Amino acid sequence: MIIHRVIRKVQRFQGWFGGGAALCIIAGLYLGLIGSPPDYYQGEVVRIMYIHVPLAHTSLFAYIVLSIGSMWYLWKRDPIVDNMCHAVAALGAIFTTLALATGMIWGKPTWNTWWTWDARLTSYTVMLLILIGYLMLRTFIDDPEKEARYAAVLAILGLVDLPIIHFSVEWWRTLHQPQSISMRGVSISSGILVPLLCMSIGMTLLFSYMLMVRTQLLYLDRLLHAKKGRLLSQFHMSKTDP
Amino acid sequence: MTSLYIRWGGLLIVAMVLTGLTYSHYQQHLATLSPKQVNEQNPSQEVRVLGMVRGGTLKGNVAGGDATFALVENNTTIPVHYHGPPPDNLRELKTLILIGKWNSSDNVFEARDIGLVTNYGFVVGAYLIGLIPLGIFLFAMSRRVGLLYEEIKASKLYQEE
Repeated sequence: MIIHRVIRKVQRFQGWFGGGAALCIIAGLYLGLIGSPPDYYQGEVVRIMYIHVPLAHTSLFAYIVLSIGSMWYLWKRDPIVDNMCHAVAALGAIFTTLALATGMIWGKPTWNTWWTWDARLTSYTVMLLILIGYLMLRTFIDDPEKEARYAAVLAILGLVDLPIIHFSVEWWRTLHQPQSISMRGVSISSGILVPLLCMSIGMTLLFSYMLMVRTQLLYLDRLLHAKKGRLLSQFHMSKTDP
Repeated sequence: MTSLYIRWGGLLIVAMVLTGLTYSHYQQHLATLSPKQVNEQNPSQEVRVLGMVRGGTLKGNVAGGDATFALVENNTTIPVHYHGPPPDNLRELKTLILIGKWNSSDNVFEARDIGLVTNYGFVVGAYLIGLIPLGIFLFAMSRRVGLLYEEIKASKLYQEE
C-alpha cells in the first residue's frame, strides 16, 4: 500500500523532524522575544503573537490531516491510517487548547477581557469540542471497527467548521483582527514576519514529530494488548482441553 | 531509556540557559526602576524609570519635545526634564516609562525618550503556558514508547506464538 510506504519513509526522518523543530523554535524564540521590535499600538504584548498564531495554525493543520486521514480510512479501511487519525486528534486537541489559552492571555491586555463570544473564538472553541467528542467517541465504543468508522464520520462532519473559523473575521464584525498573511498579500513588516514564520515552521515540525511518537505509542499499545489477549485465550484453551 | 533521559536532560539544560539569557537581557535592557529606587541608588548609567506624571506639574513645550514635570510612584516624586522626540503620550496623570540618566548634582532625571508601560507578565505567561505543556506531553509520550518497547522485549511478545 502506498500510504504504508510513505509513513515508513517519513518515520525514518523522525529525528530530523525533532531536531528541526528544536532549532526553529529556539531561533523563533530569540527573534520573537529579543530580536523583533515592539508594535506601535500594542507595545511588547505583540510578542504573544509568536506563540499564539503558530499554535493556532498548527491546530488547524492537525484538523486538516485528521479529515483527510478519516476520508482515506472510510475509503480504504486502512487501520494504520486510523491509528494515525487517533493520534492526530489528541495532538489537535492539545494545540487547540493551548492556542485558546494563549489567545485569552493576549486578549486581556489588548481587548481588556479574557474571553468574548466573538465569531472566531466561538467557532474555534467548537473545533476543540469536536476533537474532544472524537476522542470520547473512541473511548466509549468497544468494537474497534465501529469505533474507527464512527470517529471518521464525526471528523469529516466537523470539517464544516474549518471554513467558518477561517472566514469568520471577514463574514462578521469581530474583535479578532483579520488575517495578516493571505492570498492578497502580507500586511506586516519583515521584522515581525521572520520570527512568526520561524515559529510556525518549528511548531509544524514539532507537531509532525509528536505525531510520529504518538502513532508509535498507540500502535505498540494495541499490539501489546492484542498479543496479551491472544496468549491469554491460548492459555485458557490449553487449560480447558481434555 | 537512558538515551531518552540524556536527550531530555540536554534539552532541559538548553532551555535553562535560554531562560537565563532572556532574564539577563530583561534585567539589562527592559527592567524599570521606581522613582524611590532612583533616589536611593543614584544610578550613573542610563536607566528606565516607571511612574505617573503628577497632575499640574507638566510645563514647557510638550509638542516640541522639551518639557518639565514631576514623576510620582508610591508617594515618591522625582523632577524630570524631558528633551527628546515630540512625544505622543506625554500628558498629566499618564503612567509611562522614561528612558534617560539621573543627574545627581541637580537631582533631576534627564529623560531622552518615553516608552509605553509594558506587560511582560502576560508575555511570559503566554510562552510558559504555550510551551511547557507541549514539552511535558512529548516527554511523557516518548517515555511511554520506551517503556512499551521494553515490555514487549521482556515478555518476548514479538516472537511467533
